[in-house]
Amino acid sequence: MAVWLVRRLAASIAIVFAVVTITFFVVHLAHGSPCGPSEQRPLPADVCERQRIRFGYDRPLRVQYVKYLGALLRGDLGESLGLHRPVADALADAIPNTFTLALAALVIDFALGLALGIYQAVRERRFGDIALGNVALFVNSMPTFWLGLVLLLVFGQWLRWFPVAGMGDPVFCPQVDSPRCVADFFWHLMLPALTLGLVGAAGTARYHRAAMLEVIRQDYVRTARAKGLRERRVLLVHALRNALLPFITLFGLAFPFLLTGAVLVETVFAWPGMGRLAVSAIFQRDYPVVTGAALVTSVMVVLGNLIADVLYAIADPRIRVRDA
Amino acid sequence: MPTSRTTARLIALAALAGLVLPAGCGRRPGCTGDYCGTLVIAAPGEPDILLPPVSEFATTRDVTEQLFLKLADLGTSGNTIGDEDFRPQLAERWEWDAPTTLVFHLDPRARWQDGQAVTAGDVAFTYDAYTDTAVNSSFRTALRSIAAVTTRDSLTVVFRFRQRYPEMFYDAVYHMRILPGHLLRELPRDQWRSAAFGRAPIGDGPYRFVAWKAGERIELAADSTFFLGRPHIRRVIWRFTPDQTVAVTQLIAGDADAVEVLITPDNVKRVRGDTQLAIYPYKGAQYGYLGFNLAAPGDTTRPHPLFGDRDLRRALVMAADRERLLRNVWEDLATVPPGPMSRLWWIWDPEIRELPYDSAQAARLLTRLGWTDSDGDGIRDKDGHALAFRLLVPTSSIIRRQYGRLLQEQFRGVGVDVQLDEVDFSLFNERDRGGRFDAVLNVWTTDPTPSSGLPQTWTRAGFGRSNYGRYDNPVVDRLVDQAVAAAANREQARRAWRAAIETLNQDAPGIFLFATENFASVHKRVADVTIRPDSWLALLRTWRIPADRLTDRDRVER
Amino acid sequence: MNVWNWLAVGGATVVALAVVAETRRRALSSTPGRRFFRHPTAAPGMFVLAFFVTIAVAAPAVAPFPPYYQIDIARPNQPPSARHPLGTDPLSRDVWSRLAYGARLSLGIGTLAMVVAVTVGAAVGAVAGYFRRWVDVALMRLVDVALAMPRIFLLLMAVALWEHLPLWVLVLLIGLTGWFGTSRLVRAEVLSLREREFVAAARALGAGPGRVIFRHVLPNAAAPIIVSAALGIGNVMLLEAGLSFLGLGVPSPAPSWGNMIADSMPKMAVAWWSATFPGLAISLVVMALNAVGDALRDALDPRREAA
Repeated sequence: MAVWLVRRLAASIAIVFAVVTITFFVVHLAHGSPCGPSEQRPLPADVCERQRIRFGYDRPLRVQYVKYLGALLRGDLGESLGLHRPVADALADAIPNTFTLALAALVIDFALGLALGIYQAVRERRFGDIALGNVALFVNSMPTFWLGLVLLLVFGQWLRWFPVAGMGDPVFCPQVDSPRCVADFFWHLMLPALTLGLVGAAGTARYHRAAMLEVIRQDYVRTARAKGLRERRVLLVHALRNALLPFITLFGLAFPFLLTGAVLVETVFAWPGMGRLAVSAIFQRDYPVVTGAALVTSVMVVLGNLIADVLYAIADPRIRVRDA
Repeated sequence: MPTSRTTARLIALAALAGLVLPAGCGRRPGCTGDYCGTLVIAAPGEPDILLPPVSEFATTRDVTEQLFLKLADLGTSGNTIGDEDFRPQLAERWEWDAPTTLVFHLDPRARWQDGQAVTAGDVAFTYDAYTDTAVNSSFRTALRSIAAVTTRDSLTVVFRFRQRYPEMFYDAVYHMRILPGHLLRELPRDQWRSAAFGRAPIGDGPYRFVAWKAGERIELAADSTFFLGRPHIRRVIWRFTPDQTVAVTQLIAGDADAVEVLITPDNVKRVRGDTQLAIYPYKGAQYGYLGFNLAAPGDTTRPHPLFGDRDLRRALVMAADRERLLRNVWEDLATVPPGPMSRLWWIWDPEIRELPYDSAQAARLLTRLGWTDSDGDGIRDKDGHALAFRLLVPTSSIIRRQYGRLLQEQFRGVGVDVQLDEVDFSLFNERDRGGRFDAVLNVWTTDPTPSSGLPQTWTRAGFGRSNYGRYDNPVVDRLVDQAVAAAANREQARRAWRAAIETLNQDAPGIFLFATENFASVHKRVADVTIRPDSWLALLRTWRIPADRLTDRDRVER
Repeated sequence: MNVWNWLAVGGATVVALAVVAETRRRALSSTPGRRFFRHPTAAPGMFVLAFFVTIAVAAPAVAPFPPYYQIDIARPNQPPSARHPLGTDPLSRDVWSRLAYGARLSLGIGTLAMVVAVTVGAAVGAVAGYFRRWVDVALMRLVDVALAMPRIFLLLMAVALWEHLPLWVLVLLIGLTGWFGTSRLVRAEVLSLREREFVAAARALGAGPGRVIFRHVLPNAAAPIIVSAALGIGNVMLLEAGLSFLGLGVPSPAPSWGNMIADSMPKMAVAWWSATFPGLAISLVVMALNAVGDALRDALDPRREAA
């Protein structure tokens, strides 16, 4: 187990390192030194001067690269061109917001997906199953941002159940520090999380339906049922335990999906997270922020996969033989 | 099926809790009296930095207006000539020692919010910073007629001008916000654009800085000891939204109390339908146009391959149905301007002559210039080159994107191919300034007076300022000079302005599309709302919420 | 919309129905075909696809207006009516006409990008699986790295670095960022196939690697390739919509479905129809592709009987 874990960890680090290297060279080769006069986006003189000192822009590319890696290890990602502040600061502000959103979406995704999956499995081939199955397939096929726009229009503008943008009421809750503000925060979180969660839940439900069906048909469930246990208990205890494994796979799959979806959903709902930061940085040709955001995103994806793999290994010892 | 019913009930409960809790609890007595009040302003767009000389964003102006004072400010009449209509701010009085020597006496009560007195040294320092090429302030050129600013004693400061002209007082006070020298002197001039001070500024205005959460909001609090009178509204919060429509939705939902402009007709309709909201019309300071680049993109030494030709520009102007374009985008919230001017300018005159809309004439003119559709693809061509150009548009502006798409089709109708270059606002600015475009959809927020507003965009004096399209006609320049010099004599000035603009219109350096009529909206519980058209929040400290109209939002203690 | 347009739409429906019926008649003679049509959503899915393809081909007949034509700009945002069955957009263009012409672009981009993705994916997967050792390691690590960056992020960076991106480059880029998953699938398939007798026999007879891969291995790995192609088109369509929403997709005034949503979005509160119908069209087509993809998977993979 320990050896496997070390190998797996080393592979993850190698991937992140490769992503950093590729983004560095792509951005620098396509873009050259940000201090040159002929650039699409020349740096302000002062920022340029500091970047020059930090990463040695007048030196050969490989020296810059080494300096960049050195700075990276110290947590220094350079200076943003448009935000007038260090990239690391801007990212540190945004990451927790994306994380909360992704987590909330994940909860909705899994909870709703599991509930629907179980329901459909129990009602197999009856009306409820087929209707829900088709609805889920349809929702799963929507462009995420479009679903967000529709929810925003219906629940934000027409019905006014939920706020249309932002993370909290600035008058009562400048900080999330009381039960009331926690509630306010969740209220603001609802629509974006629902947008991301619903699309995912539709996929998750199909997964769980299949898994549950397999389980329900297995002998020990029949046995349990025959022993006279109430149906709900049979399903919840026996079946659920076996259906839990795919959960972990789903987590590994859902995480990158949520991050990708977050790029657009954050833009729709003005959620000040990584996605919105990255999109506006890309539009502004703010390369240091783009590179920083690429790094952070890939770290999160790799980490998500790693966690899924480790959980898998713990849950099912047979997996360990898988190559790292 | 019991399981799913339980789940459904849980979801419903969670949703309900989210809905009910914010409305339900937290009713403490809080603030009472005349100096409570919270104003939430929904603003599309976030400041880049709260340091006046290095930021040009409208939201920055609104925020720094509350933080940093000017020596004197424009009166509600908007008159920029002479000094009669100006009101004292940081300077309690002033006098002219000589025709070109202006002496300000600072108010001895003025304090920086860290307790230091505001001194004449701060004024001299501010002038030095605004005119420093390392700071590279966009206001630098507006101060070029001032030769020197010196201190006589700690509260007396002397401005010396290079020459005498009608709006010299305006130039001395309107462009600069006085900055704290003791806090900024040590900061290297080339680092102002990323100064930490700009994210947590200390000022001398009616409000002090409280917090800035990136991507979300900026909060200011009233300075109860402010020497010109305590502001009535205690907290002012800017909430950043992705666009104007969302801002209005927040306004209607009660999540915000004020927006600067409603912009689109549907927004006005939505606000009219809400009994809680009042609409305040004011003269728009903006005009928008499609500007042609008369020089080759990125190379000012050569003429533009297409737009160097005056007749081609005239044909394109005549091909655009400006009235119907305006109907589509603005309905009745804007007017087609008779030249490059905003509603704010006194020279506005619908009688000014301009090129008519006449697409048939435009098509004939193009054919006469040798542009014909020889290959039958619907686009005119000449010597193997298609009649095609790129139109630069900022993605941040819904209005301009709409105009871009409409114009694209109108020009296609006369056989001209237009590709839209829709780019981010900061990139748009850089390309615009660098002259790297064929044609551009520009919107100017004008100075209150044409004397400074028009020359900087449409004369040779505007090269290096905002004449990005490099329009240059000596006749127009001469007429503008005459008009500026004649400012004291209204009738003479009006004739000169009109002649200048009519000459300019015949040269067709741009298609003047709209001049805005502005509608601000503010919650009805706010009283004494006065809006100065050149800067809508300039008089914010006199707005108030009467004690009997306070709501929980105003009373809450944070 | 006049009588002829309605007739043309009716004609398109009939053509689509006929295509489905004819396919079904032919398919029922084979086992995979029967399995395919046993899937309850397979036939409706096929119908939706056939319908939109017919509409795309017959756009000039079914659409009453040219797609760029701005009918009366002083009166935009007309609600759905007999004249404009899906209303008009903020630029006073007929939504139905744009939807019909847009089907050409959206389906076209989806198909082309998918062809690129599947070709590259199958080639890389086959090479990695066939040669194994360092080739396999190198290629699969590359895939690991590429998968660590969200696709939309890669695309945004590419689009931002390259101004005035021609449409075909955009399509190529979408394709080139979409083959990673396919290559893993194909590799796994090839790894198991290459140990089988018929491959060994081909090699023993002196066939070179190219011939073995293309003549013997890939045709037998067709099932996962076809399925991932069907699902891939849908993904590309969603991606194109997202890019257009951010203003980086197909340039105006071309009527891609994503573009139509983006153009109408600012007016969604007053004219819901012009952003809603293209969104529904995308969802419907992607759903149909998913349904057909699922049915294909079940039909082509005997080990996985439909649950």
